[in-house]
Amino acid sequence: MGPEHAHAIGLATDMAVMSLLALSAYLLLLAGRISFGQQAYFGLGAYASALATTWAQWPLAAALAGAGLVGAAAAFALALPTSRLSGLHHAVATLAFAEMLRIALQGWHWRWTGADGAPAGPNGIDGFRDIRWLLENDVSDAAFLGLAAGVLGAVLLALALLWRCRAALALRAVGQDDTLAAAQGTPVRRVRLAAATVAGAVAALGGALYAHRTTYIEPALFDPMLGVHAVGYALIGGLGTVFGPLLGVAFDLGLLDATRVFAGWRMVVFGGLVALFLRWRPRGLLDEATLDRLASFLGRRRAPPIAPSLETVR
Amino acid sequence: MGRVIDLLQTTLDGLLDGASYALVGLGLTLTFGTLRRLNLAHGAVAMIAAYAGAWLHGRGAVPAWGVALAVVGVAVVASLYVEWLCFAPAADGATLARGGAPVAGADAREVVALASSFAVWMQLEQLGVHLLPRHLNAFPSLAAETEWALGPFALRPDRLALALLAVVLTAGLATWLARTRGGLAWRAAADQRVAAGLVGIGVPGVQRMAFAVAGALAGVAAFAVLAVQGQVTPMFGMWVLTKGLVAALLGGLGSVRGVLGGGLALGVVEAHAQGLAGALGREFATWALLFAVLLVPRRRGGAGRAHGA
Amino acid sequence: MLEIEDLATAYGKIDALKGVSLSARGGEVTCLLGPNGAGKTTLMMTLAGILRPQRGSIRFEGEEIVGRTPAEIVARGLALVPENRLVFPALSVRENLLAGAFRRRDRAAIRDDVERMLDRFPRLRERIGQLAGTLSGGEQQMLAVARALMSRPRMLLMDEPSVGLAPLVVAEIFAIVRQLHAEGTSIFLVEQNAHMALKVAQHFYLIEQGRIGFSGTPGQLAEDDVIQRAYLGRRRAA
Repeated sequence: MGPEHAHAIGLATDMAVMSLLALSAYLLLLAGRISFGQQAYFGLGAYASALATTWAQWPLAAALAGAGLVGAAAAFALALPTSRLSGLHHAVATLAFAEMLRIALQGWHWRWTGADGAPAGPNGIDGFRDIRWLLENDVSDAAFLGLAAGVLGAVLLALALLWRCRAALALRAVGQDDTLAAAQGTPVRRVRLAAATVAGAVAALGGALYAHRTTYIEPALFDPMLGVHAVGYALIGGLGTVFGPLLGVAFDLGLLDATRVFAGWRMVVFGGLVALFLRWRPRGLLDEATLDRLASFLGRRRAPPIAPSLETVR
Repeated sequence: MGRVIDLLQTTLDGLLDGASYALVGLGLTLTFGTLRRLNLAHGAVAMIAAYAGAWLHGRGAVPAWGVALAVVGVAVVASLYVEWLCFAPAADGATLARGGAPVAGADAREVVALASSFAVWMQLEQLGVHLLPRHLNAFPSLAAETEWALGPFALRPDRLALALLAVVLTAGLATWLARTRGGLAWRAAADQRVAAGLVGIGVPGVQRMAFAVAGALAGVAAFAVLAVQGQVTPMFGMWVLTKGLVAALLGGLGSVRGVLGGGLALGVVEAHAQGLAGALGREFATWALLFAVLLVPRRRGGAGRAHGA
Repeated sequence: MLEIEDLATAYGKIDALKGVSLSARGGEVTCLLGPNGAGKTTLMMTLAGILRPQRGSIRFEGEEIVGRTPAEIVARGLALVPENRLVFPALSVRENLLAGAFRRRDRAAIRDDVERMLDRFPRLRERIGQLAGTLSGGEQQMLAVARALMSRPRMLLMDEPSVGLAPLVVAEIFAIVRQLHAEGTSIFLVEQNAHMALKVAQHFYLIEQGRIGFSGTPGQLAEDDVIQRAYLGRRRAA
């Protein structure tokens, strides 16, 4: 296996992992809320799964499931007080929560003696080393890519299946106009809670995969920039479909990073693009209107889109 | 007795720190008050201005006041860039009616500007890091050589000067907003955009001026804070945004006098948290305080217009 | 004094005005009646310079004002009392009045005008220091009128001054309109309340779906006919 091959596998795995985080931000955007704190669940998933495979000696699959549960529980707990906050306050509150978690992790030391006699476990600001489940079980990079893609695929499948059902329609209705949705009898708060919980689980899955791929995690990795990127991916890729966030990730990691064309200027380009998109295509590349046109071009009729609410001159 | 003195000293230190938080938050609360939208690129504007100053300082032979002018100038330009890219179009109701927004409904404009300003934040920070790739960069230092003694308390004159600067700028801005024709125009434009246009206030011009002034304030704050520290790192932008945002939110977003109170409160809480739980405790306390304040249901009129109160 | 020719304005994707022509004479109260959605507010916003028309011309005292900024239009002597009042809720009554005079620089005269407004609207004088957002609907309407008058307009535009107000208050507002007219102020008024409007107007138009459907003096059309068309946009079966 040549180095380009290995590099491509690595890149694909990174994209799969980041896609999970981007999807998590996307779910909240669908519900009409912006969250700058999804990196918290990413981090929680990373730490929880690492503990599961190192300290509790669980197999990876169980660790992933556990991480998802932890992410879901934490997201639910946070969403309880924050779901009623409006856009700006919600964004800042989620950021505050994520930062509190990150700082708490910086102070968390829980060491034990590993099988080889060396100390192991989360070591505060120095992070959590030796998350070696993949190495110890001889999982190749390609196999892990398969796993990551599988997890991503499962999440996408679940979301795609739900897309047409009442739950998803309720979600999008709430995101478009929650007053209207409430007037139509949608349990707005419950919908938001559900969206946040699922988003937390998805982000945590991403974090768990990340931890095992890199074998080393530290609190500094789960900083606001990570969460901000996640939102950026969802916004650029488009909110009309679950593949939108993936497009955003592919664009940034695949195009900008991998091609090295914009070496060192990646954020300048990416940031500029997000801003420009928001100016002229606020719902991203794959927005509802584009998908509609695509669908009718392909001769298929989509479920009628929920019309964006008309903003009046204030 | 010694304990009381310690507590008071901690409080004093906290107040002095808090004044610098208010100073960096002043521009942020101003743009929020004028537009009802949060400019997340505020910290990045301060950072790139600071980096420009440090770069100039690194070239040598530029006096401190020259660096200060450069910092303020770059901050104003950067701030106008942010306004042009992120906030001017977001004010356009027609775009939203036409194409929808990432988050619809009343939050739409707010979120669009929020999102695009964080994008520009990323842009500006990376530009800055390109200019000065090292982590630690020297900045003209106006730090005090000695400490003053005020009875049993220690007081650094440079930090006191910083605090006074914060108070003077806050009071000046608040007075200007409350008592002058220009200030009335700003408050009117913030309060009721359409009606402001109808009485002949050029609202887009007011918006641009607000960003320019906020940029200048960010530049002044950046220079003052960094001159006391003598150096600047890439973390500076995030620091400005964090402290400024918390200070502004505590005092009520949009309130000029409020950001002073908010900054002071934050400084004191942080100082005592540090005393109790070290550096991590201090950092944690910032976010915990912010979180708590956000979750408490507030009276209407807490956040919103630019006003002196 | 005000001549509008073939004015067409779109609002978003909607063609709100489809070629409106009308004129308002100096010294008179001219009224435009029509149901919701007929384009009345779009017309007013276009006159004030907030919206730009796709085509057509607006001449005020002989000068073309299409394409001018709201500030320039106010400077020329055309002031709008907008629909729903749009007072500055966080500013005091006094500050609202001062804002109305924003384009003026003659400070002493502005002060005198404020006093005069408070004389004309004693209820506002009582509440001079209060925030405008705390005023009642009728008081806000008076404040909006006073604010517009502060720019010393040569013609006052009023967009549905009676909407959302109790009948007694509506009567008060129209009394003010009559008083202003008696003092020589030219007024162009847009309304849904045909009954009250016809009592004060010297000339009126009916707007239906973006176009003028009728032009004449009160009395030329049976009042209930007018009301039908103004409220419901429906012509009575001939």
